[in-house]
Amino acid sequence: MQQIKQNYFQLFKLSESFELDVSTLAENYRQLQLAAHPDRFAAASETEKMRAVQHSSYLNEAYDTLKSTLRRAAYLLSLHDVDVEQVKQSDLGMDLLLEQIQLREALDELPKDSSALPALENLKAEVTVKLANMERFFADELQRREFDSAKKCFHEMQFIHKLLAEIDSSEEQRLGY
Amino acid sequence: MHRRAVGIDLGTTNSLITASCGSGVEALPDADGLQLLPSVVQYRKNQTPVVGAIARAAAIDDPENTILSVKRLLGKSRSEILSQDPFLPYQFDDSRDDGAPAIVTTAGVMDPVQISADILRVLCDRAEVCLAGELEGVVITVPAYFDDAQRQQTKDAASLAGLRVLRLLNEPTAAAVAYGLDTKDQGNIVVFDLGGGTFDVSLLSLQRGVFEVLATGGDTHLGGDDFDRVVSDWLMQASVHTGTLSHSKRIELLYLANQIKHQLSETESVDVSYGAWTGKLDAELFTELTRELVNRTINTCRRVLRDAKLTTDAIDNIVLVGGATRMPVIRNAVAEFFGKSPLVNIDPDKVVAIGAGIQADVLIGNKSEHNFLLLDVNPLSLGIETMGELVEKIIPRNTTIPVAKAQEFTTFKDGQTVMSLHVVQGERELVSDCRSLARFELRGIPPMVAGAAKIRVTFQVDADGLLSVTAQELSTNTKSEIQIKPSYGLNADAIEKMLESSRDHAHADMESRALREAQLEATQLIDALASARKVDSRLLSAEEASRIADVVARLQSAISDGSSNQIHSLSEELNQVSGDFAARRMDLTIGEALRGHSIDEIEHSTDE
Repeated sequence: MQQIKQNYFQLFKLSESFELDVSTLAENYRQLQLAAHPDRFAAASETEKMRAVQHSSYLNEAYDTLKSTLRRAAYLLSLHDVDVEQVKQSDLGMDLLLEQIQLREALDELPKDSSALPALENLKAEVTVKLANMERFFADELQRREFDSAKKCFHEMQFIHKLLAEIDSSEEQRLGY
Repeated sequence: MHRRAVGIDLGTTNSLITASCGSGVEALPDADGLQLLPSVVQYRKNQTPVVGAIARAAAIDDPENTILSVKRLLGKSRSEILSQDPFLPYQFDDSRDDGAPAIVTTAGVMDPVQISADILRVLCDRAEVCLAGELEGVVITVPAYFDDAQRQQTKDAASLAGLRVLRLLNEPTAAAVAYGLDTKDQGNIVVFDLGGGTFDVSLLSLQRGVFEVLATGGDTHLGGDDFDRVVSDWLMQASVHTGTLSHSKRIELLYLANQIKHQLSETESVDVSYGAWTGKLDAELFTELTRELVNRTINTCRRVLRDAKLTTDAIDNIVLVGGATRMPVIRNAVAEFFGKSPLVNIDPDKVVAIGAGIQADVLIGNKSEHNFLLLDVNPLSLGIETMGELVEKIIPRNTTIPVAKAQEFTTFKDGQTVMSLHVVQGERELVSDCRSLARFELRGIPPMVAGAAKIRVTFQVDADGLLSVTAQELSTNTKSEIQIKPSYGLNADAIEKMLESSRDHAHADMESRALREAQLEATQLIDALASARKVDSRLLSAEEASRIADVVARLQSAISDGSSNQIHSLSEELNQVSGDFAARRMDLTIGEALRGHSIDEIEHSTDE
């Protein structure tokens, strides 16, 4: 059975850029699933059903990738043959490492009970602003085809995403989930 | 033509079957006009099993032959069941080396798949009477937290009962469908499902007919039974009962507690007498006693909202499912948390079955004019075992299905030709804390130096939430042979054997039923192919067309005077010779949906 290799942006009729309209993405995704989902082929032959499962899975994978800004960034880099799995020392600047350590320390030093919740909210807001700046920078660098710099920025965003997830889970612990 | 498709809620305590009849989807009654079928089966020597209320009444006098709550046994091993409930009155067949919880009854050894199939048969016989004809497809609901084994066995039970499963549908999703289609809403829906022993929350968005499950969550150890326990603890304390209770006294007390709980859903205050003690339980005190339990349900709602990155004001509707949601403490807490009253106009005991009936009607093609689609998620993460008995997640929970994820592995020894993989399901870090799904052996890896072989393993979860695995060695392009060893329950061979034996002996009408089904399916296949050729004959070469015509002719003659096996194998052959044609058509369908190009053309344009 042939592999599907359709470009994710073309699939959803979007121009190939980091900034995209999420509601158009969602709407086009739903329209495509209406045509491709295996439920549309409940009465069809096994071959058609299997093909529908493949198509529908591919749409889900593509949607999942473009929906997340981090995965979208990695995908855009991969379209320009930049492999984000290969990380070199030079991809991670000294300034990034220092900032990482500082932010992590700030998180670790917070009290372990619900009194830390306002501070966690503040930290989250601060980090979210940082991320928004990085995303703008990434979009610009990609447009200018400065792939090395874009890749470095990607790894910074990756770190921020990890940190946000940790803030979330510390929040959940303190809320008693 | 209206085709006969039904929705089935195969419940732990009661089951229901629904179908669209004229005005809308309704629960179908038995000959006495009763809709709920107690999920109880009594086996008798040399007689057909008794299912329903009569069987439930027999449970007291004939406990070892009367199976209650078989749903709790599905997809589990004997040892798991015994550790979860050591006081079951059944005699398990210890000689079964597959670990399946087969029960020795006077009618022979029965396993949970067979017992569930017996319930399904009774429901379907009822539907075939009501709808005056054979069923063409069923949608069966399963709890959202059901794992792969439990889903697979539900499907196996249906095939054993001779039913064609259009889809397994998650219960909360079914409930949302029942309301969503009713109200034609756009927006976000929370389904709050509090059953006897489990609790589920699902958050769905509905946009122009497309239901998308955004997040699910739950607590498999929280249900209406816990509220009974709280009341019975209070009774013990209030009546200053000292010492331990006997088993039967304890049951009696729980029964009384359950009655009090039900009464409190109707009135503000209940007078209670227990032994010589009399007292009173009012709504205020009940709210206080159950505060911790209610808070747990609200916390789960909070968690699900967080997973979906939404706040309560983004929720347009709340749907209640399960008898326990009749309690005012629950309704009030839900209304307070979400800032709006939950929808209650569909009976919480029937809402799941009604949603299943609607989905069955859509899938069989009775409502083709509707743009209606369900995009569900896998509620549990799928992972594989790595070094140190840790779990590496391959497909995280809340991923929209169907989904395929590929992972590359390599060999760690020179000349290694076999590799084992262990697939698990669950959220925990350690393999021993997750549910073992299957062990795979990849054989036929070409011998190379360690680390040179590249094996791509693809995990595919279909729309029913069921997993399949394929593997390929990339450097030489060899397809590895995969051996699937389910970690518990039945393997594929055992199912096949059961299907065969049931065709051969157990039920005299089985072969004729299988034959009718094979004829029906083959006719549908031929019809589908004919209409496909009418539209897309240009995609078919002359040689292919003549090969297809040849198999169609042979299949048609088998339909009129062949066995079900002959029809099956010819249908299979027809599927094969028309496979390429079907693939081209599918590519065109999705291609047209994209932008009027076939996938091949698009691939070309991106290659440039």
